[in-house]
Amino acid sequence: MWDNEASIIPKFRATTRPATSDHPTVPSNRSVNHTVIAALAGATALIGGILLATWLNTPGTTTLRSGTLLQQPRVLPALDLIDQDGQPFTHAQLQGHWTLIFPGFTYCPDICPTTLGLLKTVQTQLGSRAEHLQVVLFSVDPERDTPERLKEYVTYFSPAFRGVTTSEPNLKAVAQALGVAYAKVPGGAPGEYSMDHSAALILINPRGELAGYFTGPFQADLLLADLKQVLERSP
Amino acid sequence: MRTSALYAAGALMLLAGCGSGSNTVTVEDAWIPAAPPGAGVMAGYLLLRNGSSQALRCDGASGADFGAAEIHRSVVENGQSRMLRDQVLELAAGESATLAPGGLHLMLFRPAREFKIGDKTELKLHCGSVTVTASARIQEPR
Repeated sequence: MWDNEASIIPKFRATTRPATSDHPTVPSNRSVNHTVIAALAGATALIGGILLATWLNTPGTTTLRSGTLLQQPRVLPALDLIDQDGQPFTHAQLQGHWTLIFPGFTYCPDICPTTLGLLKTVQTQLGSRAEHLQVVLFSVDPERDTPERLKEYVTYFSPAFRGVTTSEPNLKAVAQALGVAYAKVPGGAPGEYSMDHSAALILINPRGELAGYFTGPFQADLLLADLKQVLERSP
Repeated sequence: MRTSALYAAGALMLLAGCGSGSNTVTVEDAWIPAAPPGAGVMAGYLLLRNGSSQALRCDGASGADFGAAEIHRSVVENGQSRMLRDQVLELAAGESATLAPGGLHLMLFRPAREFKIGDKTELKLHCGSVTVTASARIQEPR
């Protein structure tokens, strides 16, 4: 659906005829004026109609207020991830619905819970439409984030949220494919390191292709409006 | 003897200063978002007001129910979400500082117990000779 954008954009062909010239009869001054006024009114209505129709009908040029859609969705390489139940998470889990991927880690008390809390709010406000959106925490910290730990963490926010990760060097490859950068930063004690990671949320379309990014600072109302637009594009 | 009693009274006033009164350092709205079970780390937020006539410099923190605490700041730089350690709160006389989600916060390591919503725990900010004590409430994340 994304690469067929051109066919969705409404087309307005030049179907109007010249309205005033070559009139067969010779009108009086008064009727000339009427003809000109009628033509102007007609032209104005036509242009107004075109503008209105364009404004109302722009699914092909969805613009997001808190993110960017790629003009051409990017095909992703194989994703060999493990989910919070220890089950494989691959392309198969990206098919048929939209997916929002949040790169992060669970040993993160400020940004990660705040973002997941916000995504929970958005998910609730989407109502039944939320069925078409899968929310996934992609942990860049597999050393601490075992499937069990991921499960405790994500299901605390929503039973529908998923948590995925993988070990190195596969983590690096998947992160690169998703456009995610990360780095380990030492803390005060060996187990208390932090992870720098890309702040953007990654949008995957129902064909499992990378469709766009949302960038912070995230606001629930903007993200909700954007996701409603995106979900309306669902097949 | 008399002098030390005055000092003691002064120290008591400083300690008692948390919460009310003018010309003191106070903490308002200290809270900790409830965290998923098994969380190894939590965050503390508060509003610190320097109502004294002296500049205040806080460079350490501790918590009665935590193995360690530090003053951290979350930032986004070049699209990267980062956490900066060893932050210092510097408040001129009359200034205040807000520790809130997505920015400055107390990083609370190794909670000694599982908290429930509504539980309270004591947090401390170490500001040179002044220690500011706050009773933080465990709340739903906001």
